[in-house]
Amino acid sequence: MLQSTNTSRDHLLVFINGQRHEVAGLNAFLTLSDYLRLRLGQVGTKIVCSEGDCGACSVLVGRVEDVVDESGGGDKSRGGKLIYRAIDSCIQFMYQLDRAHVVSIEGLKRNGLLSPVQDAMVKCHGSQCGFCTPGFVMTMAGLLEGDGVDRGEALTPDQLRDGLTGNLCRCTGYVQIIDAGCAVDPGKTARLSELYPDGPIADVFNSHSQDGVVVTADDGRTVAIPANLDAAVAFKAAHPGCTVVAGATDIGVQRNKGKIDPREVLCLANVGEMMGVSYAGSNLTVGACANWSRVERSIKDIVPQFHDVLTVFGSPQIRNAGTIGGNIANASPIADSVPFLLVMGAQLEIVGPNGTRRIDINDFYTGYKQFDLSADELIARVHIPLPTEAQTLRLYKVSRRRDLDISTFTAAVLVELDNAGETIRNARIAYGGVAAVVLRLPKTEAFLTGKPFEESVLREAGQLARTEVTPITDVRGSADFRLQLAENILAKFYFDCAQKTPV
Amino acid sequence: MTNRSKTMPTVGQSIPHDSGTGHVTGEALYIDDYTPIADELFVEFVGSPTACGKIESVDVSEAKKLPGVVGVYTYRDVLGHNIFGPVICDEPFLAEDRVDYVGQPVVVVAGETREAALAGRKAVKIDVSPKQPVLDIDTAIQKKQFLGPERRIERGDFDSAWDSSQHTIEATFESNGQEQFYLESQACIAYPGEQGQLMVESSTQNPTETQAILAEVLGLGMHEVVVRCKRMGGAFGGKETQGVIPALMAALVSQKTGRPARVVYTKDDDMKITGKRHPYKTWYKAGFDSEGRLNAVKLDYYSDGGASADLSTGIMERTLLHADNAYYLPNVKLKGRICKTNIPPNTAFRGFGGPQAIAVIENIIQEVAAKLGKDAYDIRKINCYGGSPRNTTPYGQEVKNNLMPQILETLAKTSDYKKRLAEAEAFNKQSPTRLKGIAMTAVKFGISFTTKFLNQGNALVSVYTDGTVQVSTGATEMGQGVNTKIRQIVADEFGIPVDRVMMMTTSTEKNINTSPTAASAGTDLNGAAASNACAEIRQRMAKFAAELFAQKNNHLAPSPDEIRFEDGHVFDRRNTDNRVAFGDFANQARMARIDLGARGFYLTPGIDFDRDTGKGNPFFYFTTGAAVAEVSIDRFTGDLRVVGVDLLMDIGRMINPGIDHGQVIGGFVQGMGWCTAEQLVYNDKGELLSYSPTTYKIPNITDIPKRFNIAFMDNGENSKNIRSSKAVGEPPLMLGVAAWAAAKHALGCVAGKESVPLKLPATNEEVLMCLTGIEHKQREADKRQASTH
Repeated sequence: MLQSTNTSRDHLLVFINGQRHEVAGLNAFLTLSDYLRLRLGQVGTKIVCSEGDCGACSVLVGRVEDVVDESGGGDKSRGGKLIYRAIDSCIQFMYQLDRAHVVSIEGLKRNGLLSPVQDAMVKCHGSQCGFCTPGFVMTMAGLLEGDGVDRGEALTPDQLRDGLTGNLCRCTGYVQIIDAGCAVDPGKTARLSELYPDGPIADVFNSHSQDGVVVTADDGRTVAIPANLDAAVAFKAAHPGCTVVAGATDIGVQRNKGKIDPREVLCLANVGEMMGVSYAGSNLTVGACANWSRVERSIKDIVPQFHDVLTVFGSPQIRNAGTIGGNIANASPIADSVPFLLVMGAQLEIVGPNGTRRIDINDFYTGYKQFDLSADELIARVHIPLPTEAQTLRLYKVSRRRDLDISTFTAAVLVELDNAGETIRNARIAYGGVAAVVLRLPKTEAFLTGKPFEESVLREAGQLARTEVTPITDVRGSADFRLQLAENILAKFYFDCAQKTPV
Repeated sequence: MTNRSKTMPTVGQSIPHDSGTGHVTGEALYIDDYTPIADELFVEFVGSPTACGKIESVDVSEAKKLPGVVGVYTYRDVLGHNIFGPVICDEPFLAEDRVDYVGQPVVVVAGETREAALAGRKAVKIDVSPKQPVLDIDTAIQKKQFLGPERRIERGDFDSAWDSSQHTIEATFESNGQEQFYLESQACIAYPGEQGQLMVESSTQNPTETQAILAEVLGLGMHEVVVRCKRMGGAFGGKETQGVIPALMAALVSQKTGRPARVVYTKDDDMKITGKRHPYKTWYKAGFDSEGRLNAVKLDYYSDGGASADLSTGIMERTLLHADNAYYLPNVKLKGRICKTNIPPNTAFRGFGGPQAIAVIENIIQEVAAKLGKDAYDIRKINCYGGSPRNTTPYGQEVKNNLMPQILETLAKTSDYKKRLAEAEAFNKQSPTRLKGIAMTAVKFGISFTTKFLNQGNALVSVYTDGTVQVSTGATEMGQGVNTKIRQIVADEFGIPVDRVMMMTTSTEKNINTSPTAASAGTDLNGAAASNACAEIRQRMAKFAAELFAQKNNHLAPSPDEIRFEDGHVFDRRNTDNRVAFGDFANQARMARIDLGARGFYLTPGIDFDRDTGKGNPFFYFTTGAAVAEVSIDRFTGDLRVVGVDLLMDIGRMINPGIDHGQVIGGFVQGMGWCTAEQLVYNDKGELLSYSPTTYKIPNITDIPKRFNIAFMDNGENSKNIRSSKAVGEPPLMLGVAAWAAAKHALGCVAGKESVPLKLPATNEEVLMCLTGIEHKQREADKRQASTH
């Protein structure tokens, strides 16, 4: 196979329902859903919220995932195969889709016949008003591309529940949608690779895998889509004011709501070397552009606590786009991953024109949305020491709704007991949603050190924790509620762990 | 011919939704999917920056200068009447000299593109001198700011019954509003016609009223306006009246420019400026005996109507008519008032005032049970409507064909209620981490518009010469499957397969003076009208067929009564071998100059209600049911999971069980959302903070309990309604109250005989703060007790 290196390209190479599109100019800056609806007239993809919180715009995106996963537990490189995952097309920019194959609802029928998912949704009354239906159909089709189907087994209600949390339906109450998903015979379901053979598309993508892409529109706005970290760092150094886009799960929302309109963009979607997840010794290293789904798959057996809380981050569509680096650099006081990273003492590997430096994430944040990263630097990797045998880790996320909700309150509690399991050797606690940044609770941590691991101690610590936080009242909850959670979560931690603690 | 396969009637079968294939392929079109015509304009609006105040100036000069901005309009550009209202004429299309809620449309901007219109929107400056807004029911009461008249319903002698009651409770109950959260936002495209006429594609439950208001506001005759609605991406009441303002925006632009104009609200705008379910605050008194039998009940309902009347009067009326729910109240005094506040005008939402009433009385039952230390189920049973004299409502309507007692008993058995209740209470005594709760609540929902004239429908049925049929009715399809049900009814009328019947776009051109598709009555009214149209055509056909078959067989005397339409054929019952395919027959009928089209009309018989006396028979019949819900609560976070639901309903004979299951499940889940999760949050300026799915949380797939049992009572007695069916759209929503009552039960296990001041919805915050309050009170009591000993 011919492989061009460092060719520069002024347009995006995108396949949509098997058709090759060379996207240039302003079109490169549209969201995928606008491109589908307004440019191609493919209006089956519906828009409701424009913020990735309803899934009506779900489509499948297939990529050649050329990242080799070193942890052993997750993805294997599949070479010339395209791997399809559902995303929200309303918050995915075209420039993130260079070397990607988009399959939308218009691309699912074969020979004019309904796909088995479509057929089951019709027969089981899985649609009522129909507005959310294309999104559900696409997400469900994506689930059938997953691992379970290789064994020829039908989707289970649990798989459907977990897999469809990113799709809202207001009419059906979901039961008949689950029925439809269970009724699909995966043996009779054509894979997307049968509808759209991987080979020809993958060949095109692979032959352009080293292209550096810069697209400039008539009005001067520019996006660079480098193929490697060096090129990314060079662009950032040359354009320190640019907006860095990885998964765009927040930038996409802000743009749709008219809050930002970046004119200079560095898009990291094709920097494979920033996407790896590896595990060595007691350390987990995660590329800053590894999306949450990749992290989720890789760490399932390594840090089950983190895995479990990851499954309620956003939705599958959001986790297929959003990255750990984005979560860190977004610097939200309720960023879901940050309490965990704080108590583990994660190290951020930061690259810039002068090389690489490391910083403990506990020293990274300096104020509301303020952090120690200069304009010419990028976060490249996150190194996470994992809990030892003696340490007990629990992560909590309290939100109005369990799935697909931004947290009201988050907590990470890491406690190390002595050998007898009776005395607390040390404790690390981080709370989110209670201050301008995610907080460590030094007084409470100090109080717990050396104390017996007992309910009354944790309850007293909870009272102390209340005094270390300064929550506000907002749309997600009152200050009083958050204070109460700050108090209660330590007692909850006690009961969660008590069973496993030697008496 | 022998051994013919006989086609089953399609009524009673779960045939797929008639747009199902369109839904799953994305080929079903909604307003914003229509391909723009070359010169089409995009319409935006500028809303009030303030909840309340006097408009000092509106400066559109900068906006008008922008490239691509084609027109900028205020109320001064309105040719007809700027003020409208479905019941009380009090709502401006565009604000004039004052604004009454944040986001209230003041200016309409038309642009060549969305971007241009948006830029124009941003360039308009509105200067308002703000006044202190009224944002809650208590303040409105204090300031005596009300909409519409006070309504009362009374029976018996509350005062003396109260005085003689063994036990009494007295408190307030608050339920919050609810956003409809239809997925397709309000949308409309207006196309200019010849000589000033208008053709409007609107996402509306109410084409006739949209037509009437467009004509009124734009200064046109109704005959110059056509309103069409192919389908809606959900509505739930939110498009009964509130599709009108966006339709007016598009129509105004079209009228002014002579170009097609499209308006599609963003989700954010839609949630910020359209009305929702009314929040209610109710002052209640209940007197009862030691068995828990309710003897004296007084309910003063106050709803938050928002800035103008919209449908609030009808909604309050339905509240009063559902104060009793499934329970006989011998001495009862009901009063309803609508508060005028500075939020968008609240409007219809599935249940239409019923849910708010039912939540109050179910709360009272939970309180009675707690006070007497009894199982709330036993209180429900003892108060449930029964035989005479315990079968008349406070407004004097007899509850006929009443299966309510059987529904409660059957569901208690099938759900294993008593055993699970005992288990939950035992669990709560020993678990330091979680609380369980379980409750059964009921619904008895009156079917008919309480405004009598709305209880009518018309339908147009056209049979073509190939035997296919087009049907147009006033019903609008919002997902509820009304078109599928009518299609089944019509197919059976002619004995032809459903795919030979097509449901056409709802249009004021074909069906005139229609009622909104609302009050659960879409199929009842329009299905019956279509059936009547078919009957007329069949009558003509039968007369012709009788002669046709008699000619072919001279032993037969022509008799239209003997003609059958079955299996896709027409034949004389007395000679079934001589059959003509329905298509051939239709063609022959046309050749014989038989009219194959008819307009059918239906009016609901025997209903009447006097608003002033509060007496009458407002309802054609009742749809009833009950639910058992079990919840599990995290004592540290207040996180509430609904872990089990058992539903049992009487919806007569189902026209389409698949669709009706969907209505029941979907309605319940929506009700569960209202009761446990969905929280509208405003700031002190009257700005809605929870205006998108990021901050407003409707139930997600993982919120659906894994135990979800649905069953139906066998009841074919309701022969007066179309095909012995019953309306199903709204009633199941009110069963969601069971989830709230279960939460109240769980907290009651901690509180003992103390009252649990749980508001609705029981969000995690509400549950945790309520639980914390109860525990705090108990600790204080323990301390006091300890210090006295």
